[in-house]
Amino acid sequence: MAKMTLNLVVWRQADANAAGRMVEYVVRDASPDMSFLEMLDVLNEDLIKRGEEPIAFDSDCREGICGSCGVVIDGVPHGPEPGTTVCQLHLRHFRDGETVAVEPWRAASFPVQKDLVVDRSALDRIMAAGGYVSFNAGGAPDGNAVPISKSKADAAFDVAACIGCGACVAACKNASAALFTAAKISHLALLPQGAAEREQRVLRMVAQHDKEGFGACSNEGECQAVCPKEISIAAIARMHREVMHATVCSR
Amino acid sequence: MSFPKNLTSVGKKILMGLTGLALIGFLCAHLAGNLLVFIGPGTFNEYSHKLTANPLIYVAELGLLAIFLGHLATGIALTLRNRAARPTPYHVKRSAGHTTRKSLASATMIVSGAIVLVFVPLHLWTFKFGKSYGAEGGVRDLYRLVMEVFSSPGYVLWYLVAMVFVGFHLWHGFSSAFQSLGAEHPRWDPLLRSFGWFLSVLIAGGFIAVPVVIFFAGGKL
Repeated sequence: MAKMTLNLVVWRQADANAAGRMVEYVVRDASPDMSFLEMLDVLNEDLIKRGEEPIAFDSDCREGICGSCGVVIDGVPHGPEPGTTVCQLHLRHFRDGETVAVEPWRAASFPVQKDLVVDRSALDRIMAAGGYVSFNAGGAPDGNAVPISKSKADAAFDVAACIGCGACVAACKNASAALFTAAKISHLALLPQGAAEREQRVLRMVAQHDKEGFGACSNEGECQAVCPKEISIAAIARMHREVMHATVCSR
Repeated sequence: MSFPKNLTSVGKKILMGLTGLALIGFLCAHLAGNLLVFIGPGTFNEYSHKLTANPLIYVAELGLLAIFLGHLATGIALTLRNRAARPTPYHVKRSAGHTTRKSLASATMIVSGAIVLVFVPLHLWTFKFGKSYGAEGGVRDLYRLVMEVFSSPGYVLWYLVAMVFVGFHLWHGFSSAFQSLGAEHPRWDPLLRSFGWFLSVLIAGGFIAVPVVIFFAGGKL
């Protein structure tokens, strides 16, 4: 396969308090079969050889299931391919000689730590506010001991696919974490195991979402378009129904 | 304006949806009344007289004002909060395409809303609190005022622009209100959004038809 050249414009920021700027780099002899992150690895090797600071970015599993990675590529979180994390985005989706802007997630609630690395612990605190069930699970239960309809199980699985990468926040013009919060709420609201804490969960998680400084949902659906797990904003409608239910029913 | 601040982001959106749908309901009733102008001065003036002569109109007006101000205050509170959530903008940002519902209308709700906010008081000043011609039987001749106002090209143009923005606001607002109120279903959602687009064109088109027809008919029907 022919080699390709990419002109990158990357956000460089020394630390959380430093002012950042966009810096140009040229990556030559990149393979179209490389992932975007592998291309950054190659660039970093080059930077290290030249005695420069490598570009910091988060990644872990590199197979699209952990939620660690994520950068904004030419204005779209996780880049141009739908349903794909940036570690699974291959250079074959780019043109030879293309200029590509690479930026971190931008939100008041996601402060940049260094270069493309942001602090996403705000999402963890939303989870800690109610994204769990409190009971002793004991040993493995018998299969189908708790009956759950196929349609509900499917719907719960669709939202449980959320890997918490934060692309929804990055894509939203309001930097809202509504899709993330709604996915976590919906996952447990759809299953009988989540029923005991149903009302307090949604109210606490929404309150924490707001406390973290995320914006509100404008129902534009940019989040579902960039979500690597293609979670639908139907989850946000469900969260709104859960809020209404909890407001009326909780005491 | 502490009340929208006390609501969560979700609570604010539910309030936006409720007040928005109520205002759309008002627009439908308003439009139906306006279209009576095509039947004739007698019917139109009688309608406006019966509407304003009913003492319950004050209760309705107060309720409408509260809904309008609630929608306004909540919309501003949401916009300020949303802007604060991303203090540093992207160098490059574009729509993701794919399953997005982003449109020019959805991205400019605060702008189209602001235009309506300028329009409404001026509109009330022109018609509700405007010149009161007398007609037979002690009824206000609103018909004559309408004919007069819509003979002015400047006013017709401004009215037309304002109504295009109303339509723009509803283009996103109608289905967005339902989404905020928790209505989202794979089967009904596409239908709901199509109906919202149809309704926004119908409402804007209906309001625009009155001044345009009157203007090109030379200020009389």
